[in-house]
Amino acid sequence: MRIGSNYSKEFQRIVEIYERAGGDAANLLKGDVASIIVSGQKVLGLNNVRGVSMESFSKDDVVIVKINVGDRVHIPSPTHLCVGALDKVGEQRIRFEIEVGEESEISFLSHCSFPFADDFAHIMEAVFHLRKGAKVFYEDHHFHSDSGGTKVRTSYSVILDTKSHFENRFYLTRTRVGRLELDMESHNNGEGSVVHLETKVYERADDRVEVREKLYLNAPESSGILKTAIFATDSSYANVVNEAYGNAPHVRGHVECREIVKGDEVQVGTIPVLRMRYDTSELTHEASIGRVNAKQLQTLMAKGLTEDEATELIVKGMLR
Amino acid sequence: MALVLDSISLRRNNSWIVRNVTLRFDRGKTYAILGNNGVGKTTIVNMIMGLEGYREHEGRIFLDGEDITALPVHQRARKGITLLWQEPARFQGLRVIEYLTLGGKLAVNPRILEDVLKAVGLNASYLEREIDESLSGGERKRIELASVLLLKPRYAMLDEPDSGIDLMSTEMIKDIFQRLKTAGSAVIAVTHREEIALLTDKAFLVCGGMVVKEDSPKEVCEYYKTLCDWCDHVNKPEEAQMG
Repeated sequence: MRIGSNYSKEFQRIVEIYERAGGDAANLLKGDVASIIVSGQKVLGLNNVRGVSMESFSKDDVVIVKINVGDRVHIPSPTHLCVGALDKVGEQRIRFEIEVGEESEISFLSHCSFPFADDFAHIMEAVFHLRKGAKVFYEDHHFHSDSGGTKVRTSYSVILDTKSHFENRFYLTRTRVGRLELDMESHNNGEGSVVHLETKVYERADDRVEVREKLYLNAPESSGILKTAIFATDSSYANVVNEAYGNAPHVRGHVECREIVKGDEVQVGTIPVLRMRYDTSELTHEASIGRVNAKQLQTLMAKGLTEDEATELIVKGMLR
Repeated sequence: MALVLDSISLRRNNSWIVRNVTLRFDRGKTYAILGNNGVGKTTIVNMIMGLEGYREHEGRIFLDGEDITALPVHQRARKGITLLWQEPARFQGLRVIEYLTLGGKLAVNPRILEDVLKAVGLNASYLEREIDESLSGGERKRIELASVLLLKPRYAMLDEPDSGIDLMSTEMIKDIFQRLKTAGSAVIAVTHREEIALLTDKAFLVCGGMVVKEDSPKEVCEYYKTLCDWCDHVNKPEEAQMG
C-alpha cells in the first residue's frame, strides 16, 4: 500500500486505533491483500490485488469507494476496510459500491473506529450487487468512544442475482454505541439466492439503537435469514423492525430478534412484519424480550458466579 | 462436616411439595434420593441450592454448622454446594472451555481439563465446541458432570446423573461418584433408577414430598421395587402405609 507523504502521521495513528479495535495492521500493508484506509474524509491508502479493482474519489463531501470483482475470481484473503476518524467533532460520509462478478467469491473485514468522538457522525452507505453464483461474506466491527458521542447511520442494500449468496455480520459489542441507525435491505432477485444478515449490539448508559431490516424474496427458491441480538442495559433504548416479504413461490424466510434487558430503565421493542403471496412459501419469525434466561443464569450461579458475572458470560456468548 | 436439612417444607397453591424433611449428608459419603417422578426429589435439591422459586420454605439448612437458609445461590455455591441439572441448559456462542473455566475465572491446568473430559467419556476436541444445539443432551450432561468434577464441591447434588446417557455408562457414573467421594465430597444423587441408587452408601425414599424410608440402598431399593412400582397411592404415602 502506498501512503501519501502528507498522511504518514495520520496513517500511523489510524493504524494504532485499528489495532486497538482488533484489526491486524500487517494485513493493511501486505501487497497481496486488498485494503483501503479512510480517515475522516480522506483516503489515506489503497491497495488492489489481481481480480479486485478499487477506486475512490470524493463527490459532494462523500468519499465514494467503488470495488469491482471480476468474473470467476476467488480472493483467498479478506479485503480489509479500515474506516475511522481521529476527530472529536465532525462528520464522515462514505459510500461503498461493490459489484461482484459471476461465480466469484470474496470476503470483507471492516473495522470502523471513532475512539475520540464527542459529537461525530459516521454516515455509511454500502450497495452490493452480486452477479450469478457470486458469494460475499461481509463482517463489520464498530468501535466507538466512551462518551456516547458517536452517531452512526449505516445502510446496506444488497441485490442478489441467481444462486448468489450474501452474508453480513454487524458487531457493536465492545464499546459504547452512542446513536446507531442501521438499515439493511436485501433484494433476492435471482432464483435460489441466499442472504443471511446478522446484527449484534451491546448497549450501555443512554445508548440508542434503531435497526430496520428488510428481506425481499422476489425470486423462486430464494431464501433469507435476518437475525438481531441486542443486550440493553442501564437506560438504553432499542427498537428493531424486521420485515420479510415473500414475493415469489417456494421462498423461505426467517426473521429473529432477541433482546435481553438488564435494569428497570431500558426501553426496548421489536416488530416483525411478514407478508406473503404464495402458499408454497414459508416465512417465520421468532422474537423475545426479557432478562437473561433464568435457567442459564442459575446454572452459572450454582457454580459460584454472581448474577452480574453470569449475565456477562451468557451475553458474551450470545453476542459473539 | 455435614449438610443438614432441618424440617424443611415447601408449599405451593395450598399443597405441600416437600413436607417436614430432615436429612443429613456427610462429606466423603454417597447418597441417593430415590422415588417416582413428581414426588419432590428435585424440589429438595433445588431448595438446598437456593434456586429462584425454592427459597421461601419453612425449616432451616445448615452447611458445616452454618445456617445458609438466607444465602443466595452463588454464595451457597462458593461455600461448596453445586447442582447438576437433570436437563442442562444450552449457552449459545459459549465454548465448552469458557463454560468449564467460568469465563476464565477458574484457573485450570489444561491437563486437568483433558482428564475430567476423559472421565466423562469425551475428548479435548470438545473444548472448542459451542454449548448449543450442536451438542446432544447426553453430551451436555457429560460436560456438566465434567464441570462438577472440576469444581470439586464439598456437596455435589446430581439430579438424574445418568439421564440422556446410555445405559452402558452406569460404570462411568460409578467412577464419578468414587472420584468425588475420594476427594472428600458428599454425592447426593437424585434418581428414579435403582441401578444408580445401588451405587451409593445410603438411600432415602421420597414420596409425597416426605422421606418415607432411609436405609442401605439395597433395603430401600427392595422396598421401592416391591411397594412403589405398582403403588396407586403415589404422593399419598399416608394412605399407602395405612393400606
